Amino acid sequence: MIDIRGLYKRHGSLDILRDLSFSVEQGEVAAIIGPSGGGKSTLLRCINGLERFERGQIRVGDDILTADASAKTRSRLLGSIRKRVGFVFQQFNLFPHLDAIGNVIEAPVHVLGKSREAAIFEAEQLLGKVGLSDKLRSFSHELSGGQQQRVAIARALAMQPDVLLLDEPTSALDPLMASEVMSVIADLARGGQTMIVVTHQLCLVKAVASTVHVFAEGRRAEHGPTQAVFANPQHETTRAFLRKLSEG
Amino acid sequence: MLGYRCSTTLGSPTPPGVPKRLRRGIVAQLFVLVMLGATLAPANVVAAPSPISVITPGHLVWGGDQEGGGPYVYPAEDDPSRVIGFEVELADKLAAYVGLRAAFFQGQWDKMPELLRTRKCDIVLNGYEWVPARLEMMEASIPYYVYGLQLLVRAEGDIRSWVDLEHDGPSGKRRVGVLGGSAAEKYVAGRLGGRVDIASYDGSTDAMREVETNKLDATVQDAPAAIFYRSRFPGLRAVEGPVGRGYYVVYARKGDTALVHALNEALSQLIERGELETLYRAYGIWDDAQRELYDIARAGKFYGYRAPAVEARTADGAESATRSVALGARKHGLDVLVAYGPILIQSAGLTLLLSCLSFPLAVMGGLLIALGRLYGPRWLRGALAMYVEFLRGTPVMLQLYFIFFFLPEIGIAVPAFSTAILGLSINYSAYESEIYRAGLMAVPRGQMEAALALGMSRMLALRRIIVPQAMRIVVPPVVNDFIALFKDTSVCSVVTLVELTKRFSVLSQSTQSTAELMLLTAVLYLLMSYPLSLLSRRLEIGLAPVAA
Repeated sequence: MIDIRGLYKRHGSLDILRDLSFSVEQGEVAAIIGPSGGGKSTLLRCINGLERFERGQIRVGDDILTADASAKTRSRLLGSIRKRVGFVFQQFNLFPHLDAIGNVIEAPVHVLGKSREAAIFEAEQLLGKVGLSDKLRSFSHELSGGQQQRVAIARALAMQPDVLLLDEPTSALDPLMASEVMSVIADLARGGQTMIVVTHQLCLVKAVASTVHVFAEGRRAEHGPTQAVFANPQHETTRAFLRKLSEG
Repeated sequence: MLGYRCSTTLGSPTPPGVPKRLRRGIVAQLFVLVMLGATLAPANVVAAPSPISVITPGHLVWGGDQEGGGPYVYPAEDDPSRVIGFEVELADKLAAYVGLRAAFFQGQWDKMPELLRTRKCDIVLNGYEWVPARLEMMEASIPYYVYGLQLLVRAEGDIRSWVDLEHDGPSGKRRVGVLGGSAAEKYVAGRLGGRVDIASYDGSTDAMREVETNKLDATVQDAPAAIFYRSRFPGLRAVEGPVGRGYYVVYARKGDTALVHALNEALSQLIERGELETLYRAYGIWDDAQRELYDIARAGKFYGYRAPAVEARTADGAESATRSVALGARKHGLDVLVAYGPILIQSAGLTLLLSCLSFPLAVMGGLLIALGRLYGPRWLRGALAMYVEFLRGTPVMLQLYFIFFFLPEIGIAVPAFSTAILGLSINYSAYESEIYRAGLMAVPRGQMEAALALGMSRMLALRRIIVPQAMRIVVPPVVNDFIALFKDTSVCSVVTLVELTKRFSVLSQSTQSTAELMLLTAVLYLLMSYPLSLLSRRLEIGLAPVAA
């Protein structure tokens, strides 16, 4: 489904991703963990073109995005990729001038060309699924952080993405609200949604991830099935990181 | 008056009192304006069948500025939308003689030569002096009036002669007020330059009032104005007789010799038949100096200045005229409201129209400029930045002037009303673009990222997500600018539009009921701008707050 080879990303004189390879199969829920600055979020943002990279390639389905693609090719590929890859931000980024329904139907109506009625019907279903049936007409400033993030997930799901990328979806939330959002993500995982989740929350990883990828200093230090990695971490970075997380 | 204004600005002047034309005129102008590119209509050049060529068939369009006041051209006291004055009557007579109908064209006095050159009017007939330098640019008729300059001082003051002016008063140099750009200004500068302080005014009566209220020591006015407004300024006294003899002539475009010949013939006839004398007696401005007109008429030619045959005297004690045109008593209080309220409201209508048409264009333009500067290609950003700096850095009056007086030089004639809308909206678009740029930049980056991540194109993201949020941010400053624009419409008087401020000045110059008119004008501006402030406040409250 997603296959990344030899990705290099530099920011100024800082190497953020160094020869990174990574892949996700259909139905897989991949968790990316690791110390801050390891390139986790950057990888997600490269996949849907919010950031450029210097070398390597990203394949999403049949679309292959390379570092040296012309502007025209790049924008055509991104147009195609973004329709199939949903993104959930740490800071939610809800559209504050639209209510919950408005946020969810915006892209289906204006990007996919769905009728408003059909889009609203689906939006109500999705908002129901994330437990917000009573907040359909609320604006972001009327919602708690957890509620906002659930609207954001519904907004991403409305495009029926093949893959959902979640960039630290619970980091800006207090524990109670974080658990609301986690249970929504767990539901999605059970439903077979392919996902890549960048997170610091071990309980989220354990609850939803089928594979774990440990990033450190722009490289993938270790990866494998979740239980195997947690039961027997091979790499020193992994051990140190897991220790620190379970203490905190 | 609004209708009259608007139709004249179309380049097809009509006499006042044709309300249907008003609507059609405005609609036509709007239409012209909407058709981008068609805004620049071709110059209105129509050849009349007669050898005299005029810009509007059947009409002799004569230019003047009613702000100059009586007795030349000024608003009638019973109906301020109508102009009267000896030049109005003279224009009627001249036009009738050449088989045309006179149509008054309002323009700023000092811009008359430009208005003539750019074919906004056929002739200038408004106390314009015969000056050799002007003959290089315009054709002059024979004189229609021999004027002198009258020194006016406070009746109980210590100035008894021109010589007294040269000696400093109690507070230093004497201050002398004159009409800016007039012969009086040149005369005073020539005779007393350096020994007095000269203050120039836009109208004659402002300076007269300033003398009465002791802010000026004296004023030098063309004798007709001094005589005509005598009754309004009882505190003033004329000192010595008129000096500095000069001649009012009619100016026509360079090369319009057929018209000038016809006008000369008409003037000669009017003089010979005594019609001019009767007219001037009615206004109380006939004096012995005018006898020279008979010599000129008999010669049918005018060669310029010569020594005065008879020392000029003021018109005091002139023979009683069969008809008398004089000013009524100065109006006060509610009478002013009743007499001039309606016409001020009409002019406020033009102010409203100018603002309401140009501002939406400015806002649209500003938004496009801001988007271009933030999201456009590199070359466009540079070009737009220069555009904004240029327009913000030069006065709107200069820009209007450029459109109205310079573009016709290269074959693009823009009617006055369209010029005003175009000039104001272009100028304000520069300011609005800066507001929008700030507003767009204030929308958090994550908003664009979220929109892109949902598969939106940059364009769609701007239209659906970024601009609607920026709009909410910029409402207060934009409304603030709208209110500012209301007041800036007053510069449109340079392109011959009589909006509220110009109307105020015209009426104030000719009626002297300045305090009441000022109050009325201020109230009208407030009535127009205050609802906008309220609207702005409502929008601020009503719009959903933008949370990060």
